[in-house]
Amino acid sequence: MGKNVLLVDDSSTMRKIIGRSLRQAGIDFDNIYEAGDGLEALEVLESEDVDIVLSDINMPNMDGISFLKEKSTREGIKDIPVLMISTETGEDIIGEAKSYGAIGAIKKPFTPDKVNEVLGPLL
Amino acid sequence: MELRERIAASAIEIFTTMVMMEVAVAEDIDENYGKLANSITGVIGLTGNYKGVLAVHLPHQVAFAITGNFLGVEVSEMNEDVEDAIGEIANMIGGNVKSMLSEKGRDIDLSLPSTVSGKEYGFHSIKGAEKTVIPFRAAEGIFYVELQLET
Repeated sequence: MGKNVLLVDDSSTMRKIIGRSLRQAGIDFDNIYEAGDGLEALEVLESEDVDIVLSDINMPNMDGISFLKEKSTREGIKDIPVLMISTETGEDIIGEAKSYGAIGAIKKPFTPDKVNEVLGPLL
Repeated sequence: MELRERIAASAIEIFTTMVMMEVAVAEDIDENYGKLANSITGVIGLTGNYKGVLAVHLPHQVAFAITGNFLGVEVSEMNEDVEDAIGEIANMIGGNVKSMLSEKGRDIDLSLPSTVSGKEYGFHSIKGAEKTVIPFRAAEGIFYVELQLET
């Protein structure tokens, strides 16, 4: 059975670019779900079968760190892995994200090869 | 490497890897710089240890080409996709500028990106701000990346 991914970014353009990069990297998902912020992401995780989340940090309504915090408290979804994809790659911010369960980070801008290098071993 | 050169290198990397568009630093700043016509500006604010604004000023034709490359479709008019794409360009350059100014990431906060566009408008300086303006040349025209930091 194939895997499903959730892309979380307030930019619809960036969600399309990430989806395209996944295809260019040869990473096939059965379903690519999208969310514009952390609140929408939580709704998708509660209603769909998602194997991995790729999330931005700087977003309106609920940012990536708050999303991770809230997700870590919800029994049914807390163990779904989250990889951050963001311009925010400062040591403190990524450290905080990891403390709430993020498994790594990819810095924007990125190439399909970089996505494959980081995401491939996780699937 | 000085901040100006680092911003230029960062912008070129973003255009090369994410937009699939060749751009290069242009020779001179237009004498009418600041009077923007048929353009869109993507803006992101910085607060914390450094306060200021990062702006990307693009003629519509350059902005349409960027959006078209991002989305894989032809774009010929201003719409939400163009605003979103240019906001994301500002966000990526702003994020890289933050990385240049901040060692660990928590001493500077970035705003969410916003855009303004129109037939004629101006982009004014923060009083007393140190201003870095870098002109770039793309096939569709000249555009500018501008950083203003309060001193």
